[in-house]
Amino acid sequence: MSHFFAAISLILAGGLLSLVLARHHVFSRAVSAILISAGCVWGLVDAVAKLSGSVIHSASFPYLNLFFLAFEMDKLSVFFLVVIFLICLLAAVYSFHYMDDPNSSVKTAVTGFFFSLLVVSMALVVTADNMITFLLAWEIMSLSSFFLVIYNYHSAENRKAGFLYFVFSHVGAMCIFAGFGIMYGYTGSFGFANMALIPETAKIIVFIFCFIGFGSKAGVFPFHVWLPHAHPAAPSHISAVMSGVMIKIGIYGILRIYALLNFHTPVFGNLVLAAGVISGILGVVYALGQQDIKRLLAYSSIENIGIVLIGIGIGMIGVSAGNPLMAVLGFSGGLFHVLNHAVFKSLLFMGAGMVVHKTGTRSIDALGGLLKSMKITGTAFIIGSLAICGLPPFNGFASEFFIFMGGFKGIALDNVPFVMSSIAVISLAVIGGLALACFTRVIGIVFQGEPRSKAAENKKETGSSMLFSMGTLAVACVVIGIFPGIFFKMALSAVSALNLGYARIPLAPFEHIAGNISFAALLFLVVVLVVTGIRSVFYAKKPLSRSGTWGCGFTQPTVKMQYTGSSYAFDIIGFFRAAAPLEEDHPPVTGRFPAATHYKSRVYDIAERYMNMVAVRPVMYLFDKLRWIQHGDIHLYIGYILLAIILLLFFI
Amino acid sequence: MESILLWLAAVFLAPFFSAVILKIKAFFAGKKGPPLLINYYTLIKLFKKGSVYSKSTTVVFKMGPVISCATALTVLLFLPIAGHAPVFSFNGDVILILYLMGLGRFFTIAAAMDTASPFEGMGAAREAYFPIICEAAMFMILIFFYRMTGALSLSAYFAGTGSLALWQIAGAPLLFIVIAFFIILLTENSRVPVDDPATHLELTMIHEVMVLDHSGPDFALIELGSFCKLFFYAAITSQLMVPFDTGLPGLGLVLFLAGLLIVYMIVGVVESAIARYRMDKVPQFVLTSFALAFFATIITLELIT
Repeated sequence: MSHFFAAISLILAGGLLSLVLARHHVFSRAVSAILISAGCVWGLVDAVAKLSGSVIHSASFPYLNLFFLAFEMDKLSVFFLVVIFLICLLAAVYSFHYMDDPNSSVKTAVTGFFFSLLVVSMALVVTADNMITFLLAWEIMSLSSFFLVIYNYHSAENRKAGFLYFVFSHVGAMCIFAGFGIMYGYTGSFGFANMALIPETAKIIVFIFCFIGFGSKAGVFPFHVWLPHAHPAAPSHISAVMSGVMIKIGIYGILRIYALLNFHTPVFGNLVLAAGVISGILGVVYALGQQDIKRLLAYSSIENIGIVLIGIGIGMIGVSAGNPLMAVLGFSGGLFHVLNHAVFKSLLFMGAGMVVHKTGTRSIDALGGLLKSMKITGTAFIIGSLAICGLPPFNGFASEFFIFMGGFKGIALDNVPFVMSSIAVISLAVIGGLALACFTRVIGIVFQGEPRSKAAENKKETGSSMLFSMGTLAVACVVIGIFPGIFFKMALSAVSALNLGYARIPLAPFEHIAGNISFAALLFLVVVLVVTGIRSVFYAKKPLSRSGTWGCGFTQPTVKMQYTGSSYAFDIIGFFRAAAPLEEDHPPVTGRFPAATHYKSRVYDIAERYMNMVAVRPVMYLFDKLRWIQHGDIHLYIGYILLAIILLLFFI
Repeated sequence: MESILLWLAAVFLAPFFSAVILKIKAFFAGKKGPPLLINYYTLIKLFKKGSVYSKSTTVVFKMGPVISCATALTVLLFLPIAGHAPVFSFNGDVILILYLMGLGRFFTIAAAMDTASPFEGMGAAREAYFPIICEAAMFMILIFFYRMTGALSLSAYFAGTGSLALWQIAGAPLLFIVIAFFIILLTENSRVPVDDPATHLELTMIHEVMVLDHSGPDFALIELGSFCKLFFYAAITSQLMVPFDTGLPGLGLVLFLAGLLIVYMIVGVVESAIARYRMDKVPQFVLTSFALAFFATIITLELIT
């Protein structure tokens, strides 16, 4: 474990030094970026090395003379550490050129500090080995990311987003506390060891509490309401880390609790799968309806969390139905998607960050034609989009393929597992189709066509560290897509830590599937090369000319006539109008000489809409009635505390 | 070797079969119609020409035709033709095929959006919409096949005695599947009643409007790709309709070709007999195919356990 602690100390040192040197703008950024990325590299190398070893490393320190802070690195922790350190490394590099506003050097330094705290706390959450350590690290993670969300605190919208995030992360944490509290009530210890011994009914309640708690961090529908507000508000490299990594910590929590409870009831699998299907489909439908590029990506994270949960759900159903191959395919496919989504989603957020940084707008319909002036960003963004749509030969396809294989194994079963697997398979297909519509829309409107406003005209991409991070991630998308074998093995070894009761997972069938994916990808690339060759033969010595786009007879086209993002998504949103109500504001054109008119449309998130009615208003009503307790008198408050302690004494 | 020859033959014959549709439509209109080799003449003409590119376009516009043609060619490599084993096959190749077609669609849409033309954007939006439902129906059909055979590859379904065995196990539900698959064929290949490739108004097209700005060899690649794609769907439909495995190599091929001709003729008849649906009715039409596949699967649950 010493390497691990050295790595996180280095990261923390980077954050602290960035605060100390806050006045020297460039120097402070450089020091924090270098130290944080050096720490991440160290942690990454250590994690990769431990992934192939078979020893479980652990460490524990006394804390306040009462508790122990215990850490353990099993294969599941190590897998998540790889994801955390890899993405945070590239985000730290990216931040060097991204946070280049010399007028806000103190804000930049504070961001560097909280960023390092976020990385460290995420690493600690996944290695924590008792409740105290886990919750301590969990709270640091939630709070440090809260401060990152309100980075731009001058805008009221961002403050609101931060508040929403604060409330949700603490209600979520409360559910986790409740779950852990029940476990503590039965085992009487803060350790994770004896959880498998508690009664089965209690296990179900614990799992449901923890699922809500972790699910609200992961952005599972309908606990996702904070996510599309908070992720876009943060600086882009933070959005990349939050969407790419932090929400996965919620997935880690669900998996960890599942492994600790060691209870293979069909209830868990069905619950997780249903949550995955709903989050997956609705996430991408809402993504399709967004006008703000970063908010769109945030909704698409909800979709991908859905895909991960579908994989995990298939795995859990496989375990409860006694089908080991299905179980392993589902779990490892879901975990593999965790890695892949971390790669392409942070790539997309970094690309969006570049666009927002240079053009100053997040509105899709104000952009256009950026591929011509931002070649590297555009290409990287297109690769990320292809990957997120799950298209071969990119990495998204590889993980979805494994989940599909697991899902089809379940279709051979009967009754409930059959129905659930069929739903999983069909919704994966629908999610794929919707994601394709969603990301062709982003690329088509933002990067292609002609600039729709002055903001998008002739913007150059600058900042080598930003381009480096995006380039690395884009290459990773292709490499993992063509050679998924070794990366899939990482996910597979994480599955071995899940307590499934399988003595040893044989590698051969999975290597065979990975080999098929590699073969198909290479075959396709060969065909593409051949066709490109044929094309170039036919174009040899041919006259090529450039002209305007064919306007179907209309000779005076303007950029305003281009199809917009709203119209592109209109029909599909219409199909899902029950779940995604579309509100339009469009005064009709009247008279012979019509006055100026406008068109506004907005897609509503039903969870957000009904949350107000179902949760916020009753809670407000209740607390309004309890207002008399608040006097503002400190003596009275001390009295309350005494009273509470005396009451609690009766229960001991 | 035999499979590679069949693959080459499929690629070269695909344009011919598409011309059959034109001939049928001409027959119903009381016209003589273009010659059966018209598509070859068009391809040769296009390959000889140069190209004009719009000033708005980027490299994506040039990649569109290459990728869409390459995906169609790759997909045909996995197709068992006339009951023969395909060139390549592995468990799960159906999923790869469906996603490769998705990749082709991604690039067709991206190439259309590259031109900044509102018409092409309109076509692209529809091209993104309808296949979502198609994909759901397609996977429903896959679930049916998986329940029947326990495999996820086209060769397990259609090579050798595969398709005949399917009829013997589940004849009645398979009828549903044939119709469902035919609806998907019409939708995925932009045929009437989903899309009208011959209309004169760009506003009402889907596929044709998306390729308005392509010219010369680029356009030829797109055409070749769409011929191959139609051939792929028609071959599967033919395999389902004429599942006989006679054991005689020549006869099997003849039966397959006859089935193929029938499928193309039915497409022609459908195009002559009904008009294109209003765009907002298309999803209902495509959902019919999902419902049929769904019922077929339900029936097999009861009958074959």
